[in-house]
Amino acid sequence: MSKLVLRDVRKAYGATVALANGALELAEGEVHVLIGSNGSGKSTLCKIVAGSVRPDGGEVLLDGQPVTVSGPQASHALGIGIFYQELSLAAHRTVAENISLARLPVKGGLFVDRQRARTIAARYIAPFADVVGAGFSPDAEVGSLRADQRQLVEIMKTLASEAPVLIFDEPTSALDRAQVDRFFEELRRLRGEGRSIVFISHRMDEIFNIGDRVTVIRDGRTVATKTIAETNQAEVIAAMVGENREFAIPATSDEGAATGNELQAPDGAPQSEGESARPVALQVENLTGSGFADVSFSLHEGEILGFGGLHGQGQSAVLRALYGTDTTLSGTISLAGRQSEVSSPRRAIREGFGYVSGDRGRDGVISGRPILENVMPVHFVKSRRPLAVPSRLNEQAIPALSALRTKFATLMHPISSLSGGNQQKVVIARWLIDRPRVLLLDDPTKGIDLSTKTELFALIRELAAEGMAILLYSSEDAELLGNADRILVFNGGAISRELQGAARTRFNLYEAAYSAAERAAS
Amino acid sequence: MSAAPQTSASGTGQFAQSAAVAKRPLVIALGLIALLLFTGEQLSPGFASLDQILRLLIVAALLGIVAAGQNLVILGGREGIDLSVGGIVSLSAIIAGNVMAGENGGIVPAILACLLAGSFFGLLNGIGVTLLRIPPLVMTLGMLGVLQGLLVVIRQGIPSGRAAPALSEFVSQPVFLGLPGIIWLWLGIGLLMAFLLRRTVFGYRIYAIGSNEHAAYMAGVPVRLIRIALFVLSSMFAAVAGICLLGYSGSSFANVGEQYMLPSIIAVVFGGTPLSGGKGGYTGTMAGAVLLVVLQSILTTINIDESGRQIVFGATLLLLMLFYGRGARMRG
Repeated sequence: MSKLVLRDVRKAYGATVALANGALELAEGEVHVLIGSNGSGKSTLCKIVAGSVRPDGGEVLLDGQPVTVSGPQASHALGIGIFYQELSLAAHRTVAENISLARLPVKGGLFVDRQRARTIAARYIAPFADVVGAGFSPDAEVGSLRADQRQLVEIMKTLASEAPVLIFDEPTSALDRAQVDRFFEELRRLRGEGRSIVFISHRMDEIFNIGDRVTVIRDGRTVATKTIAETNQAEVIAAMVGENREFAIPATSDEGAATGNELQAPDGAPQSEGESARPVALQVENLTGSGFADVSFSLHEGEILGFGGLHGQGQSAVLRALYGTDTTLSGTISLAGRQSEVSSPRRAIREGFGYVSGDRGRDGVISGRPILENVMPVHFVKSRRPLAVPSRLNEQAIPALSALRTKFATLMHPISSLSGGNQQKVVIARWLIDRPRVLLLDDPTKGIDLSTKTELFALIRELAAEGMAILLYSSEDAELLGNADRILVFNGGAISRELQGAARTRFNLYEAAYSAAERAAS
Repeated sequence: MSAAPQTSASGTGQFAQSAAVAKRPLVIALGLIALLLFTGEQLSPGFASLDQILRLLIVAALLGIVAAGQNLVILGGREGIDLSVGGIVSLSAIIAGNVMAGENGGIVPAILACLLAGSFFGLLNGIGVTLLRIPPLVMTLGMLGVLQGLLVVIRQGIPSGRAAPALSEFVSQPVFLGLPGIIWLWLGIGLLMAFLLRRTVFGYRIYAIGSNEHAAYMAGVPVRLIRIALFVLSSMFAAVAGICLLGYSGSSFANVGEQYMLPSIIAVVFGGTPLSGGKGGYTGTMAGAVLLVVLQSILTTINIDESGRQIVFGATLLLLMLFYGRGARMRG
């Protein structure tokens, strides 16, 4: 009998459909793998089960009974335990208190019974005792632990809920090999007890190691559920890509339709011969820093080099390191043959870098200030003039904004009066007044409407055609496939594969992104 | 290319609206000044006489000069505030009084000494806030404590000092078009501030770090340098006010500057610069300074003593916070 069933679950955020037809059937005593590419809707599905997102429609059945999960409290009460990808730990509390948080023992109606909290916690720490590493103890403050230790605490906390249904959303991203093995042993034991477990991971090796069945989600729809024993890695990737007719629902969604971008290579023809003839704009050798290790590549003038792979595999970290906001531990960065030291964005701008973040609100928009003041700061860095003469600034800002077809009434309007897409155009226009040699694009079209995206990529290709070297990270695979001349696939902080020419296919991209990354031995 | 329709009409409407709101603090302040002057005249004939208004303006100029620095620090955001201005005013008055010791020849060295001392303590504030990441409230409050202690020590060792005649004349006697020098100085500072904020890269950067420090950093703004400069400027304006205060009162005494801390903040907020920074300007602050001085004068006229006035000032700041203080909830 099915423990948990989701049927025809839908969720839209405005015009964006996050989940068009989500379905999941979770049996008792199984580990059920949920897989899908970035933005396919699997996180939304989990949030609906967790009660943090209310569905627009569809049914959720628990033990055959329709239920409404009205909030996180409700899901807890229904016996659903969830491991959150964004850790939900209290940093200033101890390990023991965090683990026993769901049912914190209280003494005298008011005070936490620390002794009992420790006893409860010890039960869940015990299976991991020999893999937790130095500095881990029930009384340690969670904030003082390493990332992998915190992830283990989150796992223990989830296990301590003793819920019949357990959902793990990427629980192993920070763990080392021994820790993963121990965790899987625990999962197998729980499965033996009859618990129902949903397991989300991007690591094919883990999926085939621990899973009993796999459900693939693509473009907000559940496209297939198979028994792990009856399928293989290629078939699963094909289902995620949507090219395999046997596995897939009728292929309404080729990549072009999914994003509105043309998919052929920018110039149609293979370019590799032409590229290597052009001078190298940026040479990166053995760059190592927080979140990436030993990254080497070269970027030619006029080339768009894509950074691909799953979220958070080091792509943004490398871009930020090149722009001087993240520190690097070792390696060299050479611009046009000359080694450069980038210690701050200001320095990077002077060296010839430009950077556009997809996180407009945090990194880009100087909110509340006029459009003009949002366009000029980079020019100020380069011109080194102390005076700001509005008429002359207007003369410089207007052509840059028009090149991007930015819609605005006057430059003195606050930037917040523009739509999101137009705000991002203003931020990009900064780099069109004094052009950088290398433009770093860190998921630049995140949360931007389709027609603006198309415009922006047309401009990016135009800039490349004029000789600018461009590094593009995008969380949307179609954007990379449609615009990049070459794609470096990142996996676990390192470049796992380079895709060139005809090899730039969605299948190859997924295969490189989802294959097992090197995992540190403990 | 048919992009998403962007209604420029609604954009203009929004802007006109927000511009009107942005101007409102200045309009409100000027309206209140007129109202208070009228009320004062009813309560005590002669309150709004030209001589009396001129006297009020001199007092307002002293406050306004301190508030210029306060205004810069607050514009720079990240909870920017300078509670040490009162201590700097007192210190500057004592230094100036002792260096000039009643001689006109001592004025220039006195000014130099005061600016030097001011920029030194401002630099300490700036370094504490940026490099050591101490919250401005704590840093400048600590600095105020240090300055107060320092003043006690200084006062035990040296006489209180006297203003040079030329300085006293500059502050209180008409020098040009019937207006005393300090008013011209204040107007000059007003022009300087407008120029600084609207026509220099430095000014653009102050607003940038005040409204989104991280985005400003990502766009190449030297955030720390700017913030340090703001604290240095704040202390230097306070030092200038200290010199003028010496000229106004003739001789200096400890804690003479204490009375400026709270009013300088109120004047800035009254003038339309929110405590969260990033928007506003000095014109409104000038009106705010005049308004506060007129208010104070009215309270004195109706025999409300010093403690009563403090209560009114504190309550005024809290009320302002309620109406258009932190952030832009009202404007959203």
